[in-house]
Amino acid sequence: MSNPAKRKDVMAATQDLRRRTLAHIPQPLERLIYLSSTRDYNTGLYRHEGLALRFSEEASCEALADCHRDAFNELVAASLQDLVHQLKRYADNSKASLSEFIGAWRELQPYRVAIPAGADSLSSELLFSNLKIALAILETRLMAPWVGKPSASPRPSLVR
Amino acid sequence: MTALIIYLLIGAGLFLFLLVMARRKNTPVEGCGEEFVQARHALRALQLGLLPANLVERIFDRGDFAYVTAESSREICKLFLAERKRISLIWVGRVRGEIRNLMHFHLGYSRFQSKLSLGTELRLALDFVLLLFACRTLQLWLHLRGPYSAPAMVGIAAGAAARVCRISEQSLAFLNPVAGDSFQNDSTTGGTAV
Repeated sequence: MSNPAKRKDVMAATQDLRRRTLAHIPQPLERLIYLSSTRDYNTGLYRHEGLALRFSEEASCEALADCHRDAFNELVAASLQDLVHQLKRYADNSKASLSEFIGAWRELQPYRVAIPAGADSLSSELLFSNLKIALAILETRLMAPWVGKPSASPRPSLVR
Repeated sequence: MTALIIYLLIGAGLFLFLLVMARRKNTPVEGCGEEFVQARHALRALQLGLLPANLVERIFDRGDFAYVTAESSREICKLFLAERKRISLIWVGRVRGEIRNLMHFHLGYSRFQSKLSLGTELRLALDFVLLLFACRTLQLWLHLRGPYSAPAMVGIAAGAAARVCRISEQSLAFLNPVAGDSFQNDSTTGGTAV
């Protein structure tokens, strides 16, 4: 297969992946976790049965890798506020309670294995650092639910 | 006798000078592929990893700090500032390291390959010196005053680094693969079909 034809195949596979699968995963954090889960950690290659059937193993692998890099770049460029929002939504969609989720993410740091190969170390460090802070913010909200929410009524005061 | 010693000293000095110059001329061009690759790697790291405007803005963005201050406790503010300080110090340290790699390449090897004018070389040398000084000052400043203390200096350092990268790109341009388009164009204009 010549190079331009191969690239065309990858582009078609990428478009198909975006239209059919990733359209249902709107947030970059969710996309990053999903796409990293399609990667074989022993080989570093991505696998997606449906995509490989429609296109080729190679094209589907490259398409998944491209989308993984895109999700990573989007997440690195996200503001901290946006990241907290995404993390909260991701935690809500998981089956775990928020406290369990925060505990597990703090201890295991699963996001460290979710970054694409070849990602710049500084960008990765920035993302890990932001996720660490976002987890701390979510934990504070869990402990004191009124923090960070627009209050309908003034906070309870100890001074009467 | 004194005059003889002076002449001998001058002669020895001249000999040493010639020896140094001869060593400089004999810098092996053919065997320095690794240096070119390292310089290319440094250039790519700067252009793609460290200097993209959105990354620099994200690291030094005050919006994140404002959000944390408004939304969180004092402990989280402290954690945030410590983390951003760490990241900003990694950033400036890596920029400085890659700039030093590029400078080393320019001092030793680029003159054999590139056709930079004397003016460009002088401007580049000045940029390197100023940039290394700015990076060191910025490192000190960020360490002492935190990540949001010198936004202007961050902009100046990033701008000067981008300028150095543009000039270095000229020196390393010969390493770029020839684009397929140019072959195609040659073929259509009567050249041999590739």
